[in-house]
Amino acid sequence: MRNKPRRMRRNRSLWLFLLPPSVGLLIFYVVPFFAGIYYSLTDGSYTNAFVGLKNYAEIWHNEMFLLGLRNTMELSLICAPLVWVLAFVIAVLLNRLRPSGALLRNSILLPYLMPASAMLLVWLLFFDYGGTLNRIIHLLGMERVAWLSGAALRFPVVLLFVWKNLGFAVILFLSALQAVPEPLYEYARLEGASLARQAVSITLPLISPTAMLVIIVEWISAFKIFREVYFIGGAYPDEAVYTLQNYMNNMYNRLNYQNVTSAAYSFAMIVFVLFGILFAMLGRAQRKLN
Amino acid sequence: MKKRRKPRRLFVRFLLVLVAVVILVPIIVTALYSFFSPQEIREFMATRGSYDDTAWMDARLSPKMFSLDQYWQILVVDTSVLQMFAMSVFYTVAILLGQAVFVPMMAYALSRYRFRFRGAVFAAILLLMLLPYQVTMVPNVLTLRRLGLLNTIWAVILPMWFAPFYIFLLRQFMASLPDELFEAAQMDGAGMVRCYFHVALPVCRPAIGAALALSFADCWNLVEQPMTYLSARTELQPLSVMFNQLVSESSGVEFAGAVLYMLPALFVYLYFLEDILSGIQLTELK
Repeated sequence: MRNKPRRMRRNRSLWLFLLPPSVGLLIFYVVPFFAGIYYSLTDGSYTNAFVGLKNYAEIWHNEMFLLGLRNTMELSLICAPLVWVLAFVIAVLLNRLRPSGALLRNSILLPYLMPASAMLLVWLLFFDYGGTLNRIIHLLGMERVAWLSGAALRFPVVLLFVWKNLGFAVILFLSALQAVPEPLYEYARLEGASLARQAVSITLPLISPTAMLVIIVEWISAFKIFREVYFIGGAYPDEAVYTLQNYMNNMYNRLNYQNVTSAAYSFAMIVFVLFGILFAMLGRAQRKLN
Repeated sequence: MKKRRKPRRLFVRFLLVLVAVVILVPIIVTALYSFFSPQEIREFMATRGSYDDTAWMDARLSPKMFSLDQYWQILVVDTSVLQMFAMSVFYTVAILLGQAVFVPMMAYALSRYRFRFRGAVFAAILLLMLLPYQVTMVPNVLTLRRLGLLNTIWAVILPMWFAPFYIFLLRQFMASLPDELFEAAQMDGAGMVRCYFHVALPVCRPAIGAALALSFADCWNLVEQPMTYLSARTELQPLSVMFNQLVSESSGVEFAGAVLYMLPALFVYLYFLEDILSGIQLTELK
């Protein structure tokens, strides 16, 4: 390469583009990440003595951490598959309506931009003990439910998440569905396959990379479920919706940084392992497709 | 065949309209209630939270008297909501401007150059993308404090300028551009820098628009970052964080506040709809 001055010039201009954003990424993302690992291994005193895995041992015996971790896991395991299934069904139905149906598709996307906190008001009214949902339940002859306190709080939280994130997943599914050749369906129809059968046996295998992507995207956002809880339940919500972020915010406010960082990295490890498995599956699905 | 498909389509259509209505109702109800008088809203909201088994909240669908008083209150009489709104606008604009500078740069470096650690840098960006905010929250706070940025507006703005997700999005788009596009410019004697300004940026305009539109949705909803980075400075918090307080104070103007808060999002949605749609689809490129 040394005898190609043109090549050299190209490489030098690389730094012009690479350096400024890289410095930003380093300062605000990479360095904090590694500094945090170091930090989670010290005692946080004036001397910052190295204590090994002591913080981690402590955190894994901390009830509130385990509660937050369990809730975050459970909530994400409810939310991500729920959004996935609903989005798939809606996208398949919308795809039937092609080329019309754009208005419907667009209206499902609208909540993605809407601030969740502005929706809080309607949620509080709808889920109130004397509110609309309980009226409907009462009309159906069932007992009212106290949605805004206790374990039932999960329901409005999950619904707020689904409401907001459904559109994104539907759009992803739709763009994949549009690439599936129509004759395949014609053939299936001649064979007498039902709509549901077609969706499961033809559509799903063909769009498996997208299906995987949607589950990953939704899972990442579901891990972040906190603001929904914060809006509805405040900083110290009911046990059923006490998320990891609640725990960290509270520890953070008590200046217990060691605790927060070791909690954070324990969580990161779990997340990385989970996504490692998911990506491996995604890779295999794609190879199969080819 | 045709005859059998028609009623099914009608049913599908009905089902989807139902979904759309359910999704839009919260927005419509919020808008509707913003035209109630503050007095009526206060009385109405006060009936919340009763666990009396004989009592119901009214299901009000029209105000006693159509009133713009809520808007008058927040826009003219007491402008504290308007100030938080202005903070939200400020953060959003500042973040988007920075992203418009730095994100395409990084995407360009990662897609149009070959260098030794390119794969590693890209993998790092993917990993950072997957990290939930909780993980880097405290290390970030410590770094920001060391830099003297904690509890200043920059604590919220600067990290967002380099958000890995949008770098990923734009890189995917730039990598999919045909090489011929750039080779033609290079034949005419343009270097990589000129190629960036005269080929890459113009060609990527739709993708940059898409990334910015998606990013808007993020910025306009910022909650966790301002809450932790600006915990000591209530006056710097954007509307997204402060809105709860407005609700719990039950000032009677909360619905107009919500509408005010939703309007910019609605404008962005209507104006950039195509960009947002293509932005979401960009996530998919492999």
